[in-house]
Amino acid sequence: MKILLITQTRNKKGQAARTEQPLVVDVLRIGRGTDCKLYLPDPRVALHHAQIRHGADGSNYIEAEAGSFSVDGSLNRPGKLLPDQRILLGPYELVILPLQQDYDLVLSVELLDPLREGVEEVRSNVQAGLQTTWLSKRLFSWTAAMLILAAFLVWPVMHATTDENRGAALKADVAPDASWDVGPLASAHASFGRDCHKCHQLPFIQVKNQACEDCHKTIGWHFPLKTAEARAIHAAVFPETRCASCHRDHKGQNGLVRTDATLCTDCHRDLKTRHAKTGIPDIGEFTRDHPPFMLSMLQPGRSGDAAIVRVPQDTKVRENSGLKFPHETHLSKKGVRSPAGTVTLECANCHVRDEAGIRFKPVTMKDHCQQCHSLEFEPKVTTRQVPHGNVADVQTTLNEFYAQAALADTPIDVVVEAGIRRPGERLAETKRQAALTWAADKADRIAHDLFEVRVCFLCHQITAVPAVDNRPATWQVAPVAITRHWLPKSRFPHSQHDTFECAKCHQVSASKSSADVAIPDLKKCRECHGGNQPTRDKARGTCETCHGFHTGSHKAGVPAIVPGSTRPRPQTSQGNAANPATQVSADAPSGGAAK
Amino acid sequence: MRHRTILEYKHYRYLKLAALVVIASIIGFAVHASPVGRYGGTPMGYALGTVGALLILWLMWFGIRKRRYRASSGNIQGWLSGHVYLGAALIVIATLHTGFQVGWNVHTLAYVLMLLVIFSGFYGLYAYLRVPHLMTENLGEDTLDGIILKIADIDREARRLAVGMPDNINLAIQDSLQRTRIGGGVFAQLSGPPRKCPTDRAASLIQASVREFKGEEARANKDLYGLMLRKQKLLERARIDVRYKAILDFWLYLHVPLSLALLAALTAHIIAVFFYW
Repeated sequence: MKILLITQTRNKKGQAARTEQPLVVDVLRIGRGTDCKLYLPDPRVALHHAQIRHGADGSNYIEAEAGSFSVDGSLNRPGKLLPDQRILLGPYELVILPLQQDYDLVLSVELLDPLREGVEEVRSNVQAGLQTTWLSKRLFSWTAAMLILAAFLVWPVMHATTDENRGAALKADVAPDASWDVGPLASAHASFGRDCHKCHQLPFIQVKNQACEDCHKTIGWHFPLKTAEARAIHAAVFPETRCASCHRDHKGQNGLVRTDATLCTDCHRDLKTRHAKTGIPDIGEFTRDHPPFMLSMLQPGRSGDAAIVRVPQDTKVRENSGLKFPHETHLSKKGVRSPAGTVTLECANCHVRDEAGIRFKPVTMKDHCQQCHSLEFEPKVTTRQVPHGNVADVQTTLNEFYAQAALADTPIDVVVEAGIRRPGERLAETKRQAALTWAADKADRIAHDLFEVRVCFLCHQITAVPAVDNRPATWQVAPVAITRHWLPKSRFPHSQHDTFECAKCHQVSASKSSADVAIPDLKKCRECHGGNQPTRDKARGTCETCHGFHTGSHKAGVPAIVPGSTRPRPQTSQGNAANPATQVSADAPSGGAAK
Repeated sequence: MRHRTILEYKHYRYLKLAALVVIASIIGFAVHASPVGRYGGTPMGYALGTVGALLILWLMWFGIRKRRYRASSGNIQGWLSGHVYLGAALIVIATLHTGFQVGWNVHTLAYVLMLLVIFSGFYGLYAYLRVPHLMTENLGEDTLDGIILKIADIDREARRLAVGMPDNINLAIQDSLQRTRIGGGVFAQLSGPPRKCPTDRAASLIQASVREFKGEEARANKDLYGLMLRKQKLLERARIDVRYKAILDFWLYLHVPLSLALLAALTAHIIAVFFYW
């Protein structure tokens, strides 16, 4: 179709101007789209607003596309266009002019209603975009950041710098540095509460060992650092010696102590690569390559470190305690005779658990033996016994007793043999000497009877020492050394094994000799204990189950003898009167085992 | 050519990089067995923490970088793609750094703020990938300004027609002209078309009174009704457009302040940890 487009414009003075533009198109598209031949650049016009088509009947037809229009006041009424019709399309007016020349359509276009104030009214009611509201990224950001820095950085730092501030912080209702706390302290440290300075003594410096050692004064390193060589080895094997390398607090009640097997096996799997001269066998796993137990046996008659002999456990190991004690007799099912009649003994009659429930109190003559093995010496006087533990004391007691009896005004019937006297009779010197001679003789005979025939020899090895010159005959009691802690480098809490009979591990009912060693061996432990990895039907058996890392720690076991404490000593051939150690060695040779 | 999203940038270059970082972190975490457990205070913990903190700084640098139009280090799509993927990777890195230990402290505060920042970012990503389509569907080739102009035209016509109508209708039309709001406060913008709109009221009033008129008045009434219906449709599109724009913007009002809060908490966390080393 051939179109003549007449565009009407008006200048500022309102004078009209017109431009004519011939077009040849199939369809006249109208819109603000640039592909529209009738281009109406106004926002109120759609891109493709409407179109005019030349019909087969020679007429022109208008139809809407995306916009709306009115033809002579009728809205959106598509149809045939007639000359002089006015089409309002957005702010534009299109007028159909009479045909001229050979044009199919003559159309005038005029912008009637340029954009103007009416829009402002609408705009005044439009609020679009969140930036127009009270929201503010900047304000929120600064506020949040400043609050956080103030509460969680400035406030705590201010209260953690000087002693005065720290003191004030401790008294405050809310600890300023509570927000820094990464987790609950170990139970032993819980009492520190919010006094962070107790350990964290210098800002930006790692917790120093000194902070630990302020309290843990007795804790030792992995092995004693007594010699220069030991110190050199220690420095080589443990290049980093911060307590906190292993002990990290704030990990809950039990979080402070390492219990992983690698703590030990990292080195002990092949210890020779760390220290070529070591005598300690390699071990990686309890169930597989734990070496036989090393029994620490107390040797009678020795002192100091020499009092302990360490021997690998096997069937040939015999104990030399200096005592005679057949378990078989005492544990006989038929019972044993006692002042109270026949009684059947149990282990617990003599072996009494210590307060910690870990091991046993020493078996003593006074508490456990003497009830049956009475030290009475005079059949007619049941209230007197000789003291236990010292030969000289025994002899003195006997001498004094019989001398007293012989010289007393009211002689008792034991002295009948020394001659009958009337009450109140004063003894003549000759008679007094005779009485004393009798008493000394009697004491000697009774002592011989006690040591060699009736009492002492039952349990002890007794050697008679004949009288020499002016020294009277006496007896030598072999030193006694009862091992109290056979495996001092381990920790075995008996209380945790209460579910078992004693005999499960300690088979003594058939033992005829005190030389029998009744300490269970590795095989016995393995019946119940697995290794580092959990095993079905077995209790875990990590290194840490029995051993500790530090010397001086409660888990490192208890030394068989604590340096400086009383140790077993050999008795002199004189029965060493007034030597307190004798008593110890006889009754509680491992007094040193006390922690 | 199909439009490629920032997620697919350079054949998923940053997805691959992020996956690499995540896998390396997981392997490092699994392999490095510290005698004191797995947490932020072990060598591996320090390493993960350093990587995480540097990543946070780099991610936050995006907020500055995106406004530097003359910067030459890569284009902004690349930066955004990296921002998204490495931000997501940070979840894994930081979680491993914590060793899965949380508590009521500034350390966990930093961790939680970081998660909030990242998840608000995920929401922003979702909005950026989805809302522009919806906006185009809604407005088509129009713009909000164009719609406002059209409404202004309708208003003018309506005002002209309403002059000859009874008072109640004229008042309702005036109400529609003067009190019809588009957008508004935070809630109004986010919630879209309001329940009570003067234009709706005018339309229903005109519709209800259609039987009261005859002749010229009836025709004017009918035209007015048509105008109000057109205005309603335009209003709905305008308001939906405002809502979409608000949705596109709103998450940033969380993302940015939370990022700055995170930066503060992270600073406090790092200083606190080494203050009480």
